Amino acid sequence: MTKSMLSASRLVFVFLLTSLALVAFAEPNCNIYKMENNMPCYEACVLATTGGGEQGSRKSQEKFDKAIEQCPALDYAYMEKSVPYLKRGEFITWKKLIDKAVELNPTLHLGYRGWCRYQFLRDYRGAIKDFERLDTLFPHDIGYSQNGDYQLTIVKALCYSAIGEKDKAITIIEAQLGKKGYSPMVYDYLHLGVLKMETEDIAGSIESLTRSIALNDYLAEPYYYLGLIYKSKNLKAEYKSAMEKAKAYYLKGYKRFDPYTHPMHKVYLGDIDNELSIAQTF
Amino acid sequence: MIQKISWPFLLIVVFASCQKSKTEKSAYPDHVGDIAFDEKTDDPNFKICLNGRIPQYYEFGKSLQYKGEKPAIDKHFEILKQNESTAESGYITIRFVVNCEGKTGRYRIEEMSNDYQPMSFDKKLVEKILTLTRELNGWIVGGDQAHPVDYYQYLTFKIEGGKLIEIMP
Repeated sequence: MTKSMLSASRLVFVFLLTSLALVAFAEPNCNIYKMENNMPCYEACVLATTGGGEQGSRKSQEKFDKAIEQCPALDYAYMEKSVPYLKRGEFITWKKLIDKAVELNPTLHLGYRGWCRYQFLRDYRGAIKDFERLDTLFPHDIGYSQNGDYQLTIVKALCYSAIGEKDKAITIIEAQLGKKGYSPMVYDYLHLGVLKMETEDIAGSIESLTRSIALNDYLAEPYYYLGLIYKSKNLKAEYKSAMEKAKAYYLKGYKRFDPYTHPMHKVYLGDIDNELSIAQTF
Repeated sequence: MIQKISWPFLLIVVFASCQKSKTEKSAYPDHVGDIAFDEKTDDPNFKICLNGRIPQYYEFGKSLQYKGEKPAIDKHFEILKQNESTAESGYITIRFVVNCEGKTGRYRIEEMSNDYQPMSFDKKLVEKILTLTRELNGWIVGGDQAHPVDYYQYLTFKIEGGKLIEIMP
């Protein structure tokens, strides 16, 4: 298989994973209410899922209010109404609304709430609570993050790592990667590699970061962390080369990115430049 | 004759008053997160360039835009990591506008406990964070060079035991 074919297949793979995440969070099927002869909720559901103002506009928020008034059990309307508050930093209002959605339909919204607590607020302990409750509801697979980047068990592991339980995080990630039928997501091995580096399992770290590159060679991050390992082992040429590659990738736009927040273990140009200046005199 | 003139006039008045009360009754601004000018707290010299809806930072698809990226912001607030220990934990969020010249204004503060309830931190800490936020001068303007635009940005400070732990987004 040529390199371009490999690249194309990776892109298709990422697209499929993203699509799966979106499907998992699709609009409700309003016809279910119709089949139950629950016409107020059917009409409210249709109202909430049809157009009417851009996200966060007064028209849109009032539309969800009308839907909720007509069908107080319509969790979808609470969830959608909460989103602009989350994205715009009004977290008290967001939490009240998403809590209501979770109360009405925990199986659908718990994973999303946990992901948002991790992504937007670094509320690691709160996110762990949501994911562990979800574990009891879906023991085999708790689903994927809203942006399609992660299986949520991996996010749970990242939360544990952030509160200092790095060994536990590694165990969780490795168990997930070893599950039958699980296809590694694009950042799984990157995080595993960084965690192993931080716990001084250097051989394990190199192996994971190398696997990260094999899975997705469109990231500066694994090269940067490999560079740090080479530096610690006094491998000057390898250190410099890895940092140069990290910089080249970064400048091409091959780096971790999220339009809303800063992903964990993301590296920045200043970090790479700093290492390159050290490498010159190493 | 008087009655014939009065009825249409009355209808217009009633219609206009209904429209007015509809706007007044809405619990929402034009867009969630909008920050209207408040003459009591906001700098009247802070210029808003857009004549219409101000977009959010994430609408440009570039995440937070600051010279030196996130590490420059982290470094600017590093002093807060050395704060004296207190019993206070939670989040302080400062929302503001970055205008088309890269200047900031219209600051709004939300203080929240770890269980997402409103709370009040020590005033000195909040004031310190606000002052440091005002001092940030590396914001990159929204849009492009030919058409620079204002945008809304926020910074959330996660505080544990009175010390800064992380800055979001």
